Amino acid sequence: MLTEIIDVIISGMINGSVYALMAVGLTLIYGVSKAFNFAYGSFYSMGGYLAFLVFGFAFLHNYLIVFCLAAPILFFFGYIIEKLLVAPLRKRDDWEVKVMMITLGMALFLDNSFQVVFGARMKSLPSILEGSFEAGEFILSYQDVVIFILSISGILTFRWFLNNTRTGMSVRAVAQNPAGAQIVGIPKEFVFSATFAISTVMVGMGGILLAQKYFVTPDGGWDILVKSWVITAFGGMGSIKGSLYAAFIVGMLEAFVGWQFGMTWTLIALFAVLLTTLVIRPQGLMGKRG
Amino acid sequence: MEHKRTAIILAVIWSIVAILPLFFGSTNFIMHILIICLIWSVVASCWDLIMGFAGIFSFGQVAFFVIGAYSSAIISARAGIPPIFAVFMAGIISGLLGVLVGIPCLKLKGAYIALVTFAVHMILEPMLKGDIGRFIGTGGSRGILTIEPMNIFGYAFTNSHPIPYFYLILFVAVICSAIIWLVIRSHWGAAFLALKDAEDFATCLGVSAFKYKLMVFALTSFLTGMIGGFYAHYVGMLSTRMLGIDLFVTLMVILVIGGVGKFPGAVIGAFITVAINEMLSPLGSYRPIILGAMVVILVLLLPDGIIGLIQKLVAKREPMVSPLRNNQP
Repeated sequence: MLTEIIDVIISGMINGSVYALMAVGLTLIYGVSKAFNFAYGSFYSMGGYLAFLVFGFAFLHNYLIVFCLAAPILFFFGYIIEKLLVAPLRKRDDWEVKVMMITLGMALFLDNSFQVVFGARMKSLPSILEGSFEAGEFILSYQDVVIFILSISGILTFRWFLNNTRTGMSVRAVAQNPAGAQIVGIPKEFVFSATFAISTVMVGMGGILLAQKYFVTPDGGWDILVKSWVITAFGGMGSIKGSLYAAFIVGMLEAFVGWQFGMTWTLIALFAVLLTTLVIRPQGLMGKRG
Repeated sequence: MEHKRTAIILAVIWSIVAILPLFFGSTNFIMHILIICLIWSVVASCWDLIMGFAGIFSFGQVAFFVIGAYSSAIISARAGIPPIFAVFMAGIISGLLGVLVGIPCLKLKGAYIALVTFAVHMILEPMLKGDIGRFIGTGGSRGILTIEPMNIFGYAFTNSHPIPYFYLILFVAVICSAIIWLVIRSHWGAAFLALKDAEDFATCLGVSAFKYKLMVFALTSFLTGMIGGFYAHYVGMLSTRMLGIDLFVTLMVILVIGGVGKFPGAVIGAFITVAINEMLSPLGSYRPIILGAMVVILVLLLPDGIIGLIQKLVAKREPMVSPLRNNQP
């Protein structure tokens, strides 16, 4: 019983850390450019498939290479998508709904392209680090530890980037006041594209990390989209700290609900959390009102 | 003037559709497609009403459709109620659920509403497949395989003779579009527009956001649920596959082709989209890819849909952009 509970807590922590990474990406893009990205889940699958592709080549059997290759590809992809599809819509009156539509169409396009290219069967990735730490009945695999450390350090790096670099500061400035940022000479369009690209990288990394524990499927991203959104709303839009706490709470909740009642209940539990949050505290755990 | 033109366009569309069986009546396959077109046109018009006119980003329309279909099938099977009444009860159930979903959405803005309504869509599948669903009678992941066909006062509509059912659905579709037209024309429509364009200003003038938003949720989910019931009794079987993203995007294509917030557009869009979908179906698994690409391209190239294109071509008599709105980020 006790080891089971510890197992559940560990799994909640690991999932929570990766969710945090992805939710931070989502809160970034919504906080800065107010664009709702329905294809976020597809980018998650894309990360997993990119890793799978890289592992297809025998001489590239290394996660370091995967990350080094996937990050620029994802960044470039996100940048192009924003420039080509989202940016032209910004001039319109009803651009919010148009962005939702276009990203939804893109999600369908990407998901089914994955299905055609890679097949509908699940793909598995090798574990990032074999072996485990054992003490009696208690087992902690190194893979979990590495995933945890990587995602947390990813978030910390991102936070450092936002607070300490010039680009990061301009991102924050645009998030606070787009017009004001433009007046002082911050390239607004570039910031929008860059944030979109960064969030793509973050969710893609999340995909690579989680794909080792679960599997890569063409439509596996929809869960992730909803989870990231619930976490973002729960933690407070635009608050990285809030997303971090919310992600761990959601990860734990999911693990415990899945353990006690079965996996079908996890989405329902998440929905309950979402509704309660929105009714009691619409700004989320740490968000600001308005 | 605007409303009058809408009514004329609608009348023309429906009368063209009404005489179609003269040409295609002998081919059951085409009649089947036409019935599906009519059903989607109602769902898409409802979605247009809530998203285009009321400006509420509701992404739960398919969910309400499925809820209506399932509840009508279950009511008619379990309680032995004739389908024609079961359909209305299904509409009422969907409407109530719509209000229930609408209440938390009242305080929310923009993308949050999309999140809540889309979450409803996402949790519906595990609900229907899980223990609760099996308890109500959804048949779990197998779905409902036998649904009583529609019959009115002893006259049974069968799949092998689709023409009577076609006219029944046409009748329902005409009623639904008339309701939507009346809503848009009435002070409700004005209130929706006011709330969409400048919510704070409209509330200051005494337009109750609470009342109108709940009303539009209730109305659209009622109509959607009802047409879902008609769908269930027509196809005779239901499964959670309808909740896949495919159907969702198909509906979105209908809206994009027709034009968001350009009311009769959704009806035209339904016919075009279903026709395209059928033409693409030999392509198998490439069809959804093309569908997705189509959404992307159409949103970029044809942002106001066919109606918008026609309006642009005909004249620039009325400014389409409301001066109150300034959404530039």
